[in-house]
Amino acid sequence: MTEVVIDQRAAQRPKPGKRASLAVRLTRTYRSEIAIAIAIVVLLVGISFWSPYVLTWGNLANIAQAAAPLILMSLGVFLVIATSGIDLSVGSTFSLTGMVAGLCFSAGLPWPIACLISLGVGAAVGAINGGLVTIVGLAPFVVTLITYAIGASLSFVITDGHSIAIADANFWKLNGGELIPGVTNFVLFCAIAVIALEFVLRKLVVGRWVFAIGSNDKAARLLGIPVHGVRFGVYVASGLAASFASLLSLSYISNSESTAGANLMLQAIAACVIGGASLFGGTGSAIGAMLGAIMITVIQNGVNLIGINSFWQGTVTGAVILVAVLIDRATKVRS
Amino acid sequence: MKQVSVSSDMSAVRETQGETNATSFVLEAKAIEKSFGATHVLRGANLRIRRGEIHALLGGNGAGKSTLIRIISGSHRHDGGSISIDGREDPDANAIAVVFQELALLPHLSVAENITLPHRKRALARLSEAECFEEAHAALALVDQELAERALDWPVAQLDLHERQFVEIARALSSGARVLLLDEPTANLTFSETERLFGILRRLAQQGISTLLVSHRMGEIRALADVCTVLRDGRSVLDRASLSEISDEAIVEAMGQKSSALPQAAPRSTIATSARTQIVLRGSGVSLSVGSGEVLGLAGAPAGPSGVIETLIGARRSGGWRLTIDGTDVTFASPAQAVRAGVGYVSGDRAEKGILATLPILDNIVAAARVAGRHILASSGEAAAAQTALDTLSIKASSIDALPQTVSGGTQQKLLLARWLAPAPKILVLEEPTRGVDIGTKREIYAMIRDAAAAGCVVVWWSTEFTELIAVCDRVIAFDLGGQVSGILGHDELDEVSLSRATGMAA
Repeated sequence: MTEVVIDQRAAQRPKPGKRASLAVRLTRTYRSEIAIAIAIVVLLVGISFWSPYVLTWGNLANIAQAAAPLILMSLGVFLVIATSGIDLSVGSTFSLTGMVAGLCFSAGLPWPIACLISLGVGAAVGAINGGLVTIVGLAPFVVTLITYAIGASLSFVITDGHSIAIADANFWKLNGGELIPGVTNFVLFCAIAVIALEFVLRKLVVGRWVFAIGSNDKAARLLGIPVHGVRFGVYVASGLAASFASLLSLSYISNSESTAGANLMLQAIAACVIGGASLFGGTGSAIGAMLGAIMITVIQNGVNLIGINSFWQGTVTGAVILVAVLIDRATKVRS
Repeated sequence: MKQVSVSSDMSAVRETQGETNATSFVLEAKAIEKSFGATHVLRGANLRIRRGEIHALLGGNGAGKSTLIRIISGSHRHDGGSISIDGREDPDANAIAVVFQELALLPHLSVAENITLPHRKRALARLSEAECFEEAHAALALVDQELAERALDWPVAQLDLHERQFVEIARALSSGARVLLLDEPTANLTFSETERLFGILRRLAQQGISTLLVSHRMGEIRALADVCTVLRDGRSVLDRASLSEISDEAIVEAMGQKSSALPQAAPRSTIATSARTQIVLRGSGVSLSVGSGEVLGLAGAPAGPSGVIETLIGARRSGGWRLTIDGTDVTFASPAQAVRAGVGYVSGDRAEKGILATLPILDNIVAAARVAGRHILASSGEAAAAQTALDTLSIKASSIDALPQTVSGGTQQKLLLARWLAPAPKILVLEEPTRGVDIGTKREIYAMIRDAAAAGCVVVWWSTEFTELIAVCDRVIAFDLGGQVSGILGHDELDEVSLSRATGMAA
C-alpha cells in the first residue's frame, strides 16, 4: 500500500532530487575561497596606500614568480592534510632536490635528465613517508619529522654545504620559457596543477576517497575504500610536488643552496590552513591552498615594499593565519 | 543506468519473494564454531533468519554475540559449521549490512556520495554527479521519500541522528543488502523518530528485507521483533523462539543471568544523620527538593536532562538550573569545583567521557579521589583502595595494573561507578550508565545505584530506557522535546505510557 503511494509521488516528479543551480552551488562550495580572494585584493589595495608600486604589472609578476613554487608545494601538502595527515618533510625535500639537481648539472647531464633524477628525490621521500605511515602504521607527524630531519641534513652532506651555481644555458626555460606562446611556464604549470587537482578532487572517485579518508578513516575502511593505497599516493604526490617546486625555483634562481627550502614547510601548511583546510582532514580545496599561498606571498611582498624590517614577516603571517582560522570558525558555528 | 539496476534489484526481491517458499531462510548459520587462540568463543551457535522477518539477537557480554555478527557479516572466518545466504554457501559480503548509528558515515561528504561512493571501485573513474544523485535518490526514496527530496546534496554532518540511520539503511539497500543489522537503534530517538524507523523496517520487511536487531532493550525488542535467538557461552540456548510466547524473565534466565529481584528503596531512617544531604533544584518553572537515599530519574530527549546534569557537574555555568546544597546556593565554575564539593559523575559514553584508555585500571579508579582530595603524590595506599573498591563491587578484573580494554564494556561501566566509592560523594550524577550493557550487568548496576542511595547519596539519573527508571527511581522529572519540564512523576505514577506521553520519546 504505502509503497504504491510512494511510487505515484515519485512519478509526479520529473527530476529526482532537486538540486540548486550551478552558480548557487559554486558560490556555496567555494564560499571561503571567494572570501580569501577578496581578502587578497583588499590587502593589495591596502598596501598600495603605503607603496603604490605594489599594483604595478612588474610587481604583480614578481609576486606570481615568488608564489609559484609555494603554490605547487602547498597543493601537495594539501592532499596530505585532506586525508588528516601532515607532511613536515616538504621543506627539506625542496632543499635536497635542489642539491641533487646541482650535482647532476655539475656532472654535465642534460637538463631534462637532471630534472627527472631530481624528481626521484621527491618520489623516494614520499614513498618512504607513505610506506611508514601505511605499512608500518606510524603517525604521519612522527614519520615526516624523521624524513624532514634526515633530508635537511643530507642536503648539506651531499655537497659538504657548498652551494652550486647552475651553468646550463637552457635550464631557465623550465621556469621562464613559454610552452604556450604568451604564457610563461611557471604560470602555466601552476594553472594546470590547480585545475587538474581540483578536477581530480571533485570529479574523480579517487578524489572523493581522499576526502572520505580525512572525514572518517575507519568508516572509509569499512566501506571498502583502499585507504592504504590512497594514503601512500598522497605522500608520493606531496614529495613530487615539493621536488618540482624546487626545480622551478632553481630554474629561476640558477643557484642551489642547502637551506633553500628551510622556511617553506611551515608556509605550505599555513597556505592550506588559510585556504580553508582543517588539519583534522576532510575539508578544503586545491583552489583554497593556491589562494593561501598567494596571500602569504603578498604579505611578504607588502612587508618588503612598505619597508618594515623583514624579521616581522613571520609575525604578520601568524596574525593572518589566526584571523583566517577565527573567521572560518565563526562562519562554521553560524551554519 | 544505475538507477535502473537498483530498482530492478528491488523488483527482483519482490519476485523471488513471490516464487520461493515463504518460509525460506535468507541467512542460515548452523553450528558455527570459532576460537581465538585457546578461547573457544562460539560452540555451535545457530542463527536462522527468514526472509522479511525482524529477528532479535540477545546475549550477555561475552556470550559470543559480536563474534557471531562479525562472522555473518564477513569480517571473521568461522572455524566450523556452515553459513548459507539464500540457500547458497558462497558468502556475499553485501548481503548482510551493519547499520551503525553514526560511525560509518563520512560527515564531510554529501548524502548522495555517502550512498554511492562504496559502489565506485575504479579510482580514476569519472564521478558523474547526476548519476550519483539518481542512484542515491532511488535508494533513499525507498527508505524516506521526504529526506530523498530534501537532503541529497547536504553534508551528512548536517543531518539528525535518525536521518543518518536512514542514509545508512539506504546505502545498505543500494549495495544489495537482504539483512540489515541494527544495534540498539532507538537509544537516542524521539517517539516519532522511532515510529518512523520502525515503520521503515516493517515496510522493508514486507518487501523481503530482513532485520537483525541486536539489543539489550526489551522495550524495542518487544515493539519490533517477531522471533529471537539467545546466545549463552557461544551456544544458541534459544533458537528462533517466538517472542509472543516467551516472557522477559524466561529470556533473562536463558541468558544465564541472575534474574535477581529489582532493588527496593531503603527506608530513609537507616541513613546516619551526619551523612544526610538535601538538595534543591530550581529551573524550568519547577523547584524540587531531593534528599539522601532518593533516586531521582530524568527522562526525555537530551536537551532537558543535559541542562540539569551540566549544572550539577559544573560543565556549563548557564545550564538553566540553580542548585542549593544543604541550604546553600552553589554555582560550580568547573567540574573540579563540583567534584570537591561532593558531586560524582558517571557517563555511559565510556570512551568519550569516562575511561582513561591508556591508563591502568588503578588510575581509572582512583582518578576521582585524587581530584577530590587534592592529592599531589600518587600514594601507595591507592592500590589497596582500588582493590577494595573492586572487591566491594565484586568487579572481575585480572589485575589493577591491566588496561581497561582488557575487561568488557559492562565491567568498564562498573569501574566508573567504583571510581566514586571512596570519595563518597553527596550527589551522584549518572548519564545513561547502562548504555550497551547486558541485562545481568544492568541489574548489578541498579543494585549499585540503590546501595549508593542507601549510603546517603542523592542520585540523579538520566536514562533513555524507561523500564529501568520505572523499576529503580523514587521520582522522575519528565522533559518534553523542547527541554522543558512536562511533569514530575512519583514512584506510583511511573509507567511506560505516562513517561512516553510526558517526554515524547519511545519507551
